[in-house]
Amino acid sequence: MPEGRLIALLRALTEAGVDFIVVGGVAAVLEGAPINTFDVDVVHSRDAANVSRLLHVLDSLDTVFRIQPERCLRPTANHLEGPGHLNLITRYGPLYILGTIGQGLSFNDLMPRSSKMDVGGGVEVRVLNLETLITLKEELAGEKDRAVLPILRRALAEKTARADKPSFPPLP
Amino acid sequence: MPDEPAPAPDYSEDGVDLSLIRWMLSLTPAERLAVLEQHINDILAIRELNA
Repeated sequence: MPEGRLIALLRALTEAGVDFIVVGGVAAVLEGAPINTFDVDVVHSRDAANVSRLLHVLDSLDTVFRIQPERCLRPTANHLEGPGHLNLITRYGPLYILGTIGQGLSFNDLMPRSSKMDVGGGVEVRVLNLETLITLKEELAGEKDRAVLPILRRALAEKTARADKPSFPPLP
Repeated sequence: MPDEPAPAPDYSEDGVDLSLIRWMLSLTPAERLAVLEQHINDILAIRELNA
């Protein structure tokens, strides 16, 4: 079976040695919340060496800004060094590159609130924890964010309460 | 004979499907990502069929 787009994107970033933390919907799913999302959101380290590695891999993935994709505007080091949000489209689908999230939280701020996860195919990524995802969604308070909050809160409560794994049949 | 504990409810008071959450939590992170990936592929395939 060919590798899926999400895992391919995460693999490309990981194999390029980029320091990043998966946040947003994919992080919520990896933490066990049953929600759907189409894009990968990551907060990257904005130090010069990491920006250079990230720029290189984005280039190799034919990445352009999602707004006016027909103009093929490519992100630059200047964009990646800033705290803002870049809405990009790569060969493997949509990607949000976030300099900071919430109240200006950077990669270094989020590191202690994240953990490494094996996401399959030999790829290991750092993922933001559910507690922080909930706090960030509460701060944003947009309609879309509010909609998933009950699911995230219940997932956290179930996760916390779980002592043992219930036995479910394995995935086909 | 002691009373058996009541089974955990499938839905929370605010309508969240707890059985789905429990199922997701029973998976590994890699399996969870595979489920998401499959959903995306299915939705995109349906969109394409109806384009």
